[in-house]
Amino acid sequence: MTSLARAENLAAEPLAHEHCAVSVETKSGVFGFDCAPGETLLYAGLRHGLTLPHECATGTCGTCRARVMTGEVDVAWEEAPGAARLKRDKGDILLCQTRALGDCVLRVPAEVAEKPARHQIPAYRTGLMENIRRLTSDVISFEVALSTPMEFDAGQFVVVEAPGLQGARAYSMVNFTRSAERIELVVKRKPSGGFGDWLFGPGAEGAEVKVFGPLGRATFHADENKNLLMIAGGSGIAGMMSILASAAESDHFRTRKGYVFFGVRTLADGFYLEEFARRVAEANGNLEVTLALSHEEPSREDHPDHPGVKLAGGMVHEVASRAMAGRYDDLMAYVAGPPPMVDGALRTLITQGGLSPSAIRYDKFG
Amino acid sequence: MSWTYLCDAAEVAPNSLKLVDANDIRIVVANYGSGFRAIPPICPHMEEPLEESGVIANCVLTCTKHLWAWNLISLDMLGETEKPLKTYEVKEEDGKLLAYITEELTYDFEEEDDMDDDFFSKS
Repeated sequence: MTSLARAENLAAEPLAHEHCAVSVETKSGVFGFDCAPGETLLYAGLRHGLTLPHECATGTCGTCRARVMTGEVDVAWEEAPGAARLKRDKGDILLCQTRALGDCVLRVPAEVAEKPARHQIPAYRTGLMENIRRLTSDVISFEVALSTPMEFDAGQFVVVEAPGLQGARAYSMVNFTRSAERIELVVKRKPSGGFGDWLFGPGAEGAEVKVFGPLGRATFHADENKNLLMIAGGSGIAGMMSILASAAESDHFRTRKGYVFFGVRTLADGFYLEEFARRVAEANGNLEVTLALSHEEPSREDHPDHPGVKLAGGMVHEVASRAMAGRYDDLMAYVAGPPPMVDGALRTLITQGGLSPSAIRYDKFG
Repeated sequence: MSWTYLCDAAEVAPNSLKLVDANDIRIVVANYGSGFRAIPPICPHMEEPLEESGVIANCVLTCTKHLWAWNLISLDMLGETEKPLKTYEVKEEDGKLLAYITEELTYDFEEEDDMDDDFFSKS
């Protein structure tokens, strides 16, 4: 999953020089937290352990809507897609795109709790960019060596700010480990992708970036003891790799099934194939991985170089639909990728699979 | 207004939605297999057009945008859904679907204000 939100100036010089005291009125009471100079209200509240409503944390979804009752704020990205429906005349803002210029009082139209029950409380870290490498012609993998270890759940993401680049971008962790000192992330390079271009430039390797997280609710928990269905397109496969790693660690596929459908354009666009083949081999026949090729009809049923990885032609949600008929029992579905693919996959899961919303996890970036 | 023709029942296949114009009021007709519902054309969450974003399975209408969902028999809200679905009374006569319309049902995104004092606990 990748969000290419272009929030401006999130990494810019702080506007307020002092910490601001923020009070937030919610449907479950009033909470207070400190906002550091230059920090967005969302990140400040989240790192204090408040369960402020949010999904993308990068301006696209509109979930972190709030109203400024008193106090002055600065909106970083006025044109954020998620801000389109705000009542600006009443002081409504997106928490992820707004910084306090002084003490302020906010309203958030939701039930808010002070310590999340299940997920890790997100925090800021710095990190060094390392091991930048090209996986395909337009997919780049990199690692961030973190200033302090981070606990996260498989399937979660972080928001990364790079020096000199406007905005914050969301990337799902590919790896999974307790107290991670390094996180592995993956980017699909877009024609005008500032971050992708920067990654291939001379200054990226070794550069210091700012990381906020972990975030996201599309998470895997072994103790839920479900069969796993994952449908991903392009770099959306990132979080699925983390889930597979976590599932392997807990020996999940000893008793449970896993089905992975990974959509790319052509055979040459596939990546993480060695890892898939290894996971399949380790899973006692309980894990199926299918590479779905949208722009090429495969000439064989399994990958020529990575036996164990199946091949199929078509859009990934259609491939999944054909393969999954009658196999939706007792499963949790994970979906990530471009919006049309996510939409198609959700339709398949609901209509063909009969899954309820509680059995579908995806991060809502639109 | 009174009972107003929506469309023929045969025009809405089971587990599908159809947008109709009933005397200049846009209404979505939902066929959930064992019955019909007539509802406003947008999702009460973020105004998604339900004839495109909605899917029906097992008598449940789900908006695929953010997975708000309602049981079309009981009208119960499911999962993380926060707002009820509004409905027009609907009946079938001689293969024609009619809705009882006194005024257009809307979700009042502009007027309603979930940030008003009434909604908040200040203690």
